Amino acid sequence: MGNDTLIRKENRKAALFRLAPVMGLVFLFAVFLILAIIKDINIPYSFKNIINQSVVVVVAATGAVFIYTLGSFDISLGASLCVSALIGAMAYNVTGSVLVMLLVCVGVAVGISLVSSVLASVFNLPVFVTTIAMLSLLSALVLVLIGANGTGDVIQVPAAAVRGINNVWFKLIVMVLYLAFCIFLFDFMKLGRKEKFQGGNPVCAKLTGLNGKKLAIAAFAIAGIGVGLGAFLTITYAPTLSRNTASSVGMDIIISIVFGGMPVSGGARSKIYSAAIGAVSMTLLNQIMLTLSLDSGVGQMVKAMIFILVVYISMSNHKGNILPR
Amino acid sequence: MNKTKTVEIKHMSKRFGPTVALNDVSFEAYRGEILGLIGENGSGKSTSTSIFAGMQAADEGEMFFLGEAWAPKSMTDALKQGVGMIVQESGTVAGITVAENIFLGETKEFMRGPFVDRKRMFAEAQKALDQIGAGHIRAEMVTAALDFQDRKLSEIAKVMAQNPTVLVVDETTTALSQMGRDIIYGIMNRMKEEDKTVIFISHDLDEIMEKCDRLTVLRDGQIIRTFTKEEFDADQIRTSMIGRELSGSFYRNDFDSVAGEEVVLEADDLCLGNQLDHLSLKLHAGEILGIGGLSHCGMHTLGKVLFAAEMPEAGTFTVHGKTIRNEAEAMRESMGYVAKDRDVESLCVDASIKDNISVAGLDKFAVKNFLILPSKEKKYVDAQVEALRIKCRDADQYVSALSGGNKQKVAFSKWTGRDSEILILDCPTRGVDIGVKQAMYQLMDQMRKEGKSILLISEEMAELIGMSDRLLVMKDGKVQKELLRSPALSEADVITYMI
Repeated sequence: MGNDTLIRKENRKAALFRLAPVMGLVFLFAVFLILAIIKDINIPYSFKNIINQSVVVVVAATGAVFIYTLGSFDISLGASLCVSALIGAMAYNVTGSVLVMLLVCVGVAVGISLVSSVLASVFNLPVFVTTIAMLSLLSALVLVLIGANGTGDVIQVPAAAVRGINNVWFKLIVMVLYLAFCIFLFDFMKLGRKEKFQGGNPVCAKLTGLNGKKLAIAAFAIAGIGVGLGAFLTITYAPTLSRNTASSVGMDIIISIVFGGMPVSGGARSKIYSAAIGAVSMTLLNQIMLTLSLDSGVGQMVKAMIFILVVYISMSNHKGNILPR
Repeated sequence: MNKTKTVEIKHMSKRFGPTVALNDVSFEAYRGEILGLIGENGSGKSTSTSIFAGMQAADEGEMFFLGEAWAPKSMTDALKQGVGMIVQESGTVAGITVAENIFLGETKEFMRGPFVDRKRMFAEAQKALDQIGAGHIRAEMVTAALDFQDRKLSEIAKVMAQNPTVLVVDETTTALSQMGRDIIYGIMNRMKEEDKTVIFISHDLDEIMEKCDRLTVLRDGQIIRTFTKEEFDADQIRTSMIGRELSGSFYRNDFDSVAGEEVVLEADDLCLGNQLDHLSLKLHAGEILGIGGLSHCGMHTLGKVLFAAEMPEAGTFTVHGKTIRNEAEAMRESMGYVAKDRDVESLCVDASIKDNISVAGLDKFAVKNFLILPSKEKKYVDAQVEALRIKCRDADQYVSALSGGNKQKVAFSKWTGRDSEILILDCPTRGVDIGVKQAMYQLMDQMRKEGKSILLISEEMAELIGMSDRLLVMKDGKVQKELLRSPALSEADVITYMI
């Protein structure tokens, strides 16, 4: 076999691995459509459901990709989203302004992210260590906020206040705008290149003039914007907030990012669209399991197995491609 | 020579994707022999021996060890059966003790009930270190606290503790000072005397001709020729290696320095632990300033300090008259630094050639210093790949799939691409073949003529003498002697002040 043929074969193989998450999404989409047709399910209504379910995770997880690219992770994003939503709702109840509610949601989430990353920077700790502390702190803060609000176990925004923006198009526009913003930062700005290189080899990155602490703070700030927008979208979809609001979002973010083909160790192979693909794939998978009336326990097991399979494939992608040093 | 074959490789082939690493390679080694393997980077030396040592499997071919079919499951398996290999780059785990590295995967040998008898393990490890002459390394030390040479010596102790019948030494000596090299040479000679086999891979022709009994030349994954001791001829071996005669001079052949009066980098009274002791130096525009000494003399630390990667405890250093506080500021003053530990400090191996080259030059091609246009980035990177003739499929190829010399070219091009005025090069030709070496020397000479300045830190005397305008010999963190470029300057002159 000629060398050119081999190069083409290798390039095809690499492209196949790169596109595997997208192909997975297309496959799930096709399965869902077939099942919907067989079981006579209202497809437009189901799509609306899928978008409603996935949009919050897509937005929050896309920002979090910046953190994962550094080879780090933030376990407190779900709790941060809950606190941001609660304070945003309280801000609305005081001002009556949806815009203020949006700005407060984003401001609080960015603030929380900055506290995590700056604390890590000041005390020279791995960032994920401070996010573990933040998780405890934020979980306690949720209870304090709900208690201090004096409205029982919930904080509510009048449904009428968000009715105008509780529609699929508004959510899609927010999601697309934020995705475009992140893609621009990640693929077309110096920041994205630096983040990937820092994640790939922090020692070499330092000796190439990159400031790991500043990059971590920037990554957390961008993730904070995503979490803030996610908090705002959560309020528009479910204006009654409780301690359980977004309780699964933290884990969904992690699963979505990995599910979308993001390498667990971050670095140069990181892809900004991983979170979006992963979140939608996961929601589709949930819908498929619901359509098949699978027991939730069985569903969880299926998801766990697929999760391990995806990690295995993404890790074995570049195995055996290394010449001896 | 006892003619019992210890190693026999027959018709071995191996591909890494489209790269043919080995193409129908056959060779053998005998008891009581030191067999040299030589060839350009990527010629297949490491690949063939690493397959024999159990690091990876061949695609085709057969192997025999002591006449028996040989298919080790892993390097540990091979070592237990009598085939050990010392690899080119660092093969230790940083966060554990030297003893734990030496007995990695063998702690069950030291179990006392449910617990590991650490005292006994430390004692055995220390014995292994003492036996190879590296007793200055303490077995209970955390490996991360050791420098590159001592980490390498602890790897050697690990291999030798198993008393192998066949030892592969893969391009290890150029990472070591004379003391480290003497340790390896001693081991090789002892193994030969004990009727065992050593396969010695090196790019240092003088060294390999002196130490080996036979020499096999590989090129582009194929065996070109095997020389017996009587047939050793440096020119013929070089020609076999690169497939053409090496034209032009290897080092600089001028002795008239073009260095100007302008001081571009000045260090004054630098102190740092036991590495730098009131050290002062000046680097001029258009000068190659060599820094030589034994591995522990502090010269590698000096390189890091002058790039502001480590801060001195006392003393100052300025670049173009400005104090530098970190690497980013050093880069703004047009400095570049190629570290000795290439795969850890100079490159991100799990990233593409493009990623590695472009990250250092973002400010050179980004529109308005923030926007990255793929077309501009490609143009910038392709220009460097072409200028340094980096052998690769394309710039998107991962650095991990490149040979040592091509990796080193990528590390160079990070800094030459951004047109650095001052380069700190720490062992820049370590592990690269003579073809690449000559290209690098020519590049350094060209830079010098363009008025750029180079601080050349090296453990290779010939390189320092051949390339430097001035040579500072360091000992115990101090400049022991300044030697000026001269045709009369010899290695003995330098060594006198090193030890």
